[in-house]
Amino acid sequence: MKYNDVEARYFKRFGRWKIILILLTLTLISTITFTVTIGPMQIPALDVLKVIVKNLPLLGNLVEGGSSPLKEAVVIQVRLPRIFAAAIVGIALAVAGVVLQGLLRNPMADPYVIGISAGASLGASLAITFGIGFSLWGVLNSVPLMAFITALCTVFIVYNIARKGGGVPMLTLLLVGVAVNSFLLAVVSFIEMVSGEALHVIIFWMLGSFAVCNWNYVKIALPFVTVGVVLIYVFARDLNIILLGEEQAHHLGVDIERLKKIMLVCASLITAAAVSISGIIGFIGLIIPHITRILVGPDHRILIPSSALAGAIVLILCDTIARTIIRPAELPVGIITSLLGCPFFIYLLRERKGSAIWQGR
Amino acid sequence: MVTLRISGIDCSYGSIKALDNITFSVREGEFMGVLGPNGSGKTTLLRAISRTLKPRVGTVFLDDINIYDMKSKELAKNVAVVPQETTATFDFTALDIVLLGRNPYMDRFRTESREDLAIARKAMELTNTWHLAERPVNELSGGEKQLVIIARALTQEPKVLLLDEPTTHLDINHQISIMDILRGICKEKELVVLAVFHDFNLATRYCDSAMLLNNGRVFSIGPIDTVLTGENIQKVFQVNMIVKRHPITNLLYIVPLSTLRSKITPSKDMSVHIICGGGTGGPMMKTLLEQGYGVTTGVLNTLDTDYDAACTLGIPVVNEAPFSPITQEAHKANLAMIDEASAIIVGNVPFGYGNLKNLEATKVAMERGKMIIVVEETPIQQRDFTNGRAQNLLRELKNKGAIVVESCGEALSKLEALKNEVLQKS
Repeated sequence: MKYNDVEARYFKRFGRWKIILILLTLTLISTITFTVTIGPMQIPALDVLKVIVKNLPLLGNLVEGGSSPLKEAVVIQVRLPRIFAAAIVGIALAVAGVVLQGLLRNPMADPYVIGISAGASLGASLAITFGIGFSLWGVLNSVPLMAFITALCTVFIVYNIARKGGGVPMLTLLLVGVAVNSFLLAVVSFIEMVSGEALHVIIFWMLGSFAVCNWNYVKIALPFVTVGVVLIYVFARDLNIILLGEEQAHHLGVDIERLKKIMLVCASLITAAAVSISGIIGFIGLIIPHITRILVGPDHRILIPSSALAGAIVLILCDTIARTIIRPAELPVGIITSLLGCPFFIYLLRERKGSAIWQGR
Repeated sequence: MVTLRISGIDCSYGSIKALDNITFSVREGEFMGVLGPNGSGKTTLLRAISRTLKPRVGTVFLDDINIYDMKSKELAKNVAVVPQETTATFDFTALDIVLLGRNPYMDRFRTESREDLAIARKAMELTNTWHLAERPVNELSGGEKQLVIIARALTQEPKVLLLDEPTTHLDINHQISIMDILRGICKEKELVVLAVFHDFNLATRYCDSAMLLNNGRVFSIGPIDTVLTGENIQKVFQVNMIVKRHPITNLLYIVPLSTLRSKITPSKDMSVHIICGGGTGGPMMKTLLEQGYGVTTGVLNTLDTDYDAACTLGIPVVNEAPFSPITQEAHKANLAMIDEASAIIVGNVPFGYGNLKNLEATKVAMERGKMIIVVEETPIQQRDFTNGRAQNLLRELKNKGAIVVESCGEALSKLEALKNEVLQKS
């Protein structure tokens, strides 16, 4: 085989990756623009763009006149924060899913597998039922805060139960996660039983929703998710190598225990941040990584950014459906993600039968 | 001059000690085999050297640098490992997998360069896998995949190559070609190669030196033919072995016979004398021994394969000089031995003037009341080279009540019946 051909084809992939990312970014921008126009008040896309540009620093002066203050308020105060929250949560769940599937080398893994969802549910249901009312800096109410704290505590406990000697065996971590998850869900069920009128709120929270999201939610979650996702991307090649198994990764110069620790901390932080502002949105963290893997291949250097963008796009679209389909009421977005995600995923699996999305071929 | 020096290492899994005070060194360009029974610490030794399992005591030096002081990537630049099997590789191509070997040389934010690709190509050409470069690694056969993994190890440009039974799951053709490649690389690149084997014959064929481990200790170490002796193997593996030089390759070859544990002490009251030669008696001797009979044989010429078999199995044998007819002396010794036996088996052996005396001895035995079993797989006419004298003797034996059977297996069942009869009487 001619070396130059192979070399050329090999390096072509980096160019292809760039195109994929540009296309996905453009799709994300148009998705945002498109979904902002949708709602009880129809706002044309042009007006939306005007409002957005007007509110950007520096560029604001370039737009003259424009839309009504009401439209501006709807776009800036109601729809955009919600869409951004959906984007951030989509990014966080998809990337955390990629990390955990890679780290655990298990196609069934998702961001919740090590106990984050059950932990967050416990905190949220406690806050809702007993009305534990406090807030931080006056910007968040107690539900997201409690959910965030209990989620991280749960991961910390799971990690320490699974720890053995200097390291954490991934299979043990997975099993401990499953066990703690079941245990905490039992506790949550008990709280639900005694919660009386709050039961409806708890269930709605556990199905996930962006109904209450405002800019404060976005501001709180954004730094965690940004730092976490960037840090995860920095270790993308290490995640490729760990797919060969931990021992082989060690032989190739990867500091396994350090990698696992950093990745688990990052994945937990971004998942906890996402869950605390949106509740438990299922399926995104499991399916977006698989779909993206089918489309762009298994290399984490492209898989992580494209999963992030795809997660944002899909969750924004799902949330748009959730808030419009039974207007004036709205559905929990978690119902939409599963209802639409499962059939699409099964379709992809059937289409690609004979080729692997995971090792089994 | 690169030397891998293992200095007094102890390794444990929990409270179970896996390696006990192991000290040795391997030079560059040396191919050393590590052998030993399951659980003797072979893989643990490789794990300690690749820093997967930290020893409790002692350490490993590469030249004068303690490998436990190296950074992860530094270690990967010096020591590469080829495992038994690699799974979970997704849709990565063979080239992707090989390029992972460049990881220790790459900064976090650098992508693969043309130079990395050139190094990967060289490694793949060396292992004959370049034509597979763009194939998904999951679609490769076990042997091809293992060669790709070896190419990846070479892409690390290591000084030490550790192989953990690299060909265990492969067919004989791949075993040989992979080992040929590995040995070639070892010599050409002057690598220190340490390879765990289960197959003695593969080890004798490819290793310069060997180490025999037993219960976590070095039982023997040195040039391959001083380590893999029948005596050593018997002690460590509890198996009887034939260790010989092969007439064509002149390499040591090793054939296991039977485990020592299942060996039954031969019974004194039921012993069998076998008349054989030219390879007709060996398998019978082994089976009879295993079933607990006392076995003797004779007269056999030295150099006869049956004579070798008897010696290897430790069976008393009356022998005669090579290519010589049986002398009166040997004949007498044979008769004395026959007196001790309760049954005589005459194998499916050709008779000439040289060994006709063995048939005469059988006739004497018959007269002394011994039980005679004659194995006749081919008619005696076809293997009588004595102008009918052997045929006459055999006919006489048959007439006097010798049992004629058509195979060795049948002979054994007749013997078994006789043995039961004897046991009932006593």
